[in-house]
Amino acid sequence: MRAATHAVRAACAAAATLAVTACGGGGGAGGDRGAVLSSSWGDPQNPLEPANTNEVQGGKVLDMIFRGLKKYDPDTGEARDMLAERIETTDSRNFTITVKDGWTFSNGEKVTAQSFVDAWNYGASLRNNQRNAYFFGYIDGYDKVHPADGSKQSADTLSGLKVTGPLTFTVKLNQKFSSFPETLGYNAFAPLPRAFFDDHDAWLKKPVGNGPYMVENYTRGSQMSLRKWEEYPGPDKAQNGGVDLKVYTDPNTAYTDLMAGNLDLTDDVPAAQLKNVKSDLGDRYINTPAGILQTLAFPYYDERWNKEGSEKVRKGLSMAIDREQITNTIFQKTRTPATDWTSPVLGKDGGFKEGLCGEACEYRPDEAKKLIQEGGGLPGGQIKITYNADTGSHKQWVDAVCNSINNALDNDRACVGNPVGTFADFRNQITGKKMSGPFRAGWQMDYPLIQNFLQPLYYTGGSSNDGKWSNQEFDDLVDKANAETDPAEAVRTFQQAEEVVRDHMAAIPLWYQNGSAGYSDRLSGVKLNPFSVPVYNEIKVG
Amino acid sequence: MPEQPPYEPERAIAGTGMGGQMDLAASEATTLEQPPPGGPGESGHEASAASGERPRSLWSDAWHDLRRNPVFIIAGLVILFLVLISVWPSLIASGNPLKCDLSRAQEGSRPGHPFGFDGQGCDVYTRTVYGARTSVLVGVLATLGVAVLGSVLGGLAGFFGGVPDSILSRITDVFFAIPVVLGGLVLLSVITSNTVWPVIGFIVLLGWPQISRIARGSVITVKQNDYVQAARALGASSSRLLLRHIAPNAVAPVIVVATIALGTYIALEATLSFLGVGLKPPSVSWGIDISAAAPYIRNAPHALLWPSGALAITVLAFIMLGDAVRDALDPKLR
Repeated sequence: MRAATHAVRAACAAAATLAVTACGGGGGAGGDRGAVLSSSWGDPQNPLEPANTNEVQGGKVLDMIFRGLKKYDPDTGEARDMLAERIETTDSRNFTITVKDGWTFSNGEKVTAQSFVDAWNYGASLRNNQRNAYFFGYIDGYDKVHPADGSKQSADTLSGLKVTGPLTFTVKLNQKFSSFPETLGYNAFAPLPRAFFDDHDAWLKKPVGNGPYMVENYTRGSQMSLRKWEEYPGPDKAQNGGVDLKVYTDPNTAYTDLMAGNLDLTDDVPAAQLKNVKSDLGDRYINTPAGILQTLAFPYYDERWNKEGSEKVRKGLSMAIDREQITNTIFQKTRTPATDWTSPVLGKDGGFKEGLCGEACEYRPDEAKKLIQEGGGLPGGQIKITYNADTGSHKQWVDAVCNSINNALDNDRACVGNPVGTFADFRNQITGKKMSGPFRAGWQMDYPLIQNFLQPLYYTGGSSNDGKWSNQEFDDLVDKANAETDPAEAVRTFQQAEEVVRDHMAAIPLWYQNGSAGYSDRLSGVKLNPFSVPVYNEIKVG
Repeated sequence: MPEQPPYEPERAIAGTGMGGQMDLAASEATTLEQPPPGGPGESGHEASAASGERPRSLWSDAWHDLRRNPVFIIAGLVILFLVLISVWPSLIASGNPLKCDLSRAQEGSRPGHPFGFDGQGCDVYTRTVYGARTSVLVGVLATLGVAVLGSVLGGLAGFFGGVPDSILSRITDVFFAIPVVLGGLVLLSVITSNTVWPVIGFIVLLGWPQISRIARGSVITVKQNDYVQAARALGASSSRLLLRHIAPNAVAPVIVVATIALGTYIALEATLSFLGVGLKPPSVSWGIDISAAAPYIRNAPHALLWPSGALAITVLAFIMLGDAVRDALDPKLR
């Protein structure tokens, strides 16, 4: 997933938590179970096919209408069994998965092993052109259904997937991948009902899933209405009657609507209001660490960024950015300057390594100027940082980054911001390879593993490798790390791969982002998961 | 405006007032031999010096009125000042509008920085002063473009009439039907240029029909005048008729409308820039600054109010000037 908005999607998130349902019990303390809340949102880039949604806005919805084998704990991010009864392996390569009995889709169809296998085959097949196809790349037979060179596929289904019973199937990987089960909470791995295949257009209009909410209707550019699925069989039932996701093209408008009582929840508090948010909302403002890293990515398909010496230019640009000042002033310290390419939410054991970037992420204007000159100067004498203007207060920080670069280089016009109106349009331009200079690339993790901060973004052909960076040494290290059965050793190998990213400055890390949200006094039980997505099903209204 | 009465070239024979038609026969002879009247001011002194002997032209008469109109004087001074700082902003602002120091973001006024700093730590005073240049440039160039294109097309259509006139009238109808802001959002959002030209081009594109209609109406009125018929009877060619006899006498309403429109074009540029489709950074424009400062209004209202104030004063000045010019050229309306 990618990061999009503030990160990319997070599919996961959820509230699920098997045990402890914070919600639930007893009905006592109030909350009108039938009341609907409204929340700010942006249009997703693509129709909501699980394997085709790799941005955060679409992911938010998938998170509400689907449940997969695993679910990431809304507090810790840990992957816990949801639909999975058991996932067994002896060699980290052959997995036997047993699905829990009793789950159905909201149209009444039972969720079986076949529901998963069909969905995964659909997602992997080149014919269906799914953005997350790459997540199935470790399953045996992937090269047949999705040839890397784009030639005709010689198989329709993955040979590594076998249904062995109504509720059991086996997965054979093409190499060892010890943390494979932890990735299964990502929405690309969600099960799909027959309706998806039988009447695809109707499904796209009104997706049917197996999560606590059902899609009632969706008007692009306006609103998506989700309603509680009363017969939802899972442990994390919705504690409210539904959610209306309202499309905003400016977080300031959403904030104003919240203050005026027209909106219940916004998960994108604009930077310009950070100074006032405490006095406006008091404890109805939450700010929690999230697995989000904001970076500047580069278009390596443009040879001006992919030539000898351009890594010096990128490193110079990185050193021309005064992260400390920007996070203090623009973001009122709700973000932390980044010193590696992961996120502190992973923890030290999980692979976060403070200072891995070294002096390349420190503000050193003189050296920056020198490096950029050595690297041949800025391509075309000027860089344009492309960003979407509808979320995340990106204009403010992009302008600040440009001013910082301009000041360091002593050139008024070295850097300018290039806004794109909406997130969906911005993503389309990126996936259409239309970038000519650096562009905003927020990454919101899909699951809390260091692998997710590196492989999708920098691996050759990775699902969210928007800049099309490619480096053999990095790819080899990632493969090696994935094959590692000792988690600590795997993390160390990933960090070596991360050093390759650093040495080439494949992307400039900016800051670690917190999730922030504000809500109206109608709501209680609002929290953000480690993916910075509101845990909608736990919110009580009234 | 469109309903202007015909302007007689040599109105003044004092006292005749509006009843001009009666004098036509007399004045027409003079007209034919006289060079077309020049711009305002050309004959100011001369006219007053010669008062009593020589009739004052429409233009010298207007100039005479204008000089005594306090609204014109005030607006003129403001505009003169704006033009001066547009040409030479460093005269009153020594800083660099693109040099911003984030550590001073949102700070209020202080010595050397009378207007304080905006959300990016840029000096609001310097940016406000430099913003005048783009506004004046866009306003003046767009008005020139609109006036030239509109009066040429409208004038020709009015003069020749017939099918070309009908076609042109329908085209102007089409352009009139395009909502300006919506058109700007659609047309300008696909343009990535960082210069002022797309904005000027857009304003000309949507602005010319207004002038064209007025010019057409004015030419039609003038061409029915006897002195035009007389010239035609004497064998004057179409181009001579247009250039020597019709244009000088039909241009006044165009000038009036264009002057007033100049102010609205400046406001339009700011509107488009505010919406993000007009000028783009690193251009310095009041619209851009207003847009950037709007979210910070609660914490740093000064960053919003100064460029807004400058914009308001500028637009007001041009509109007041247009009003004064109209009063002078069209005494009937008083």
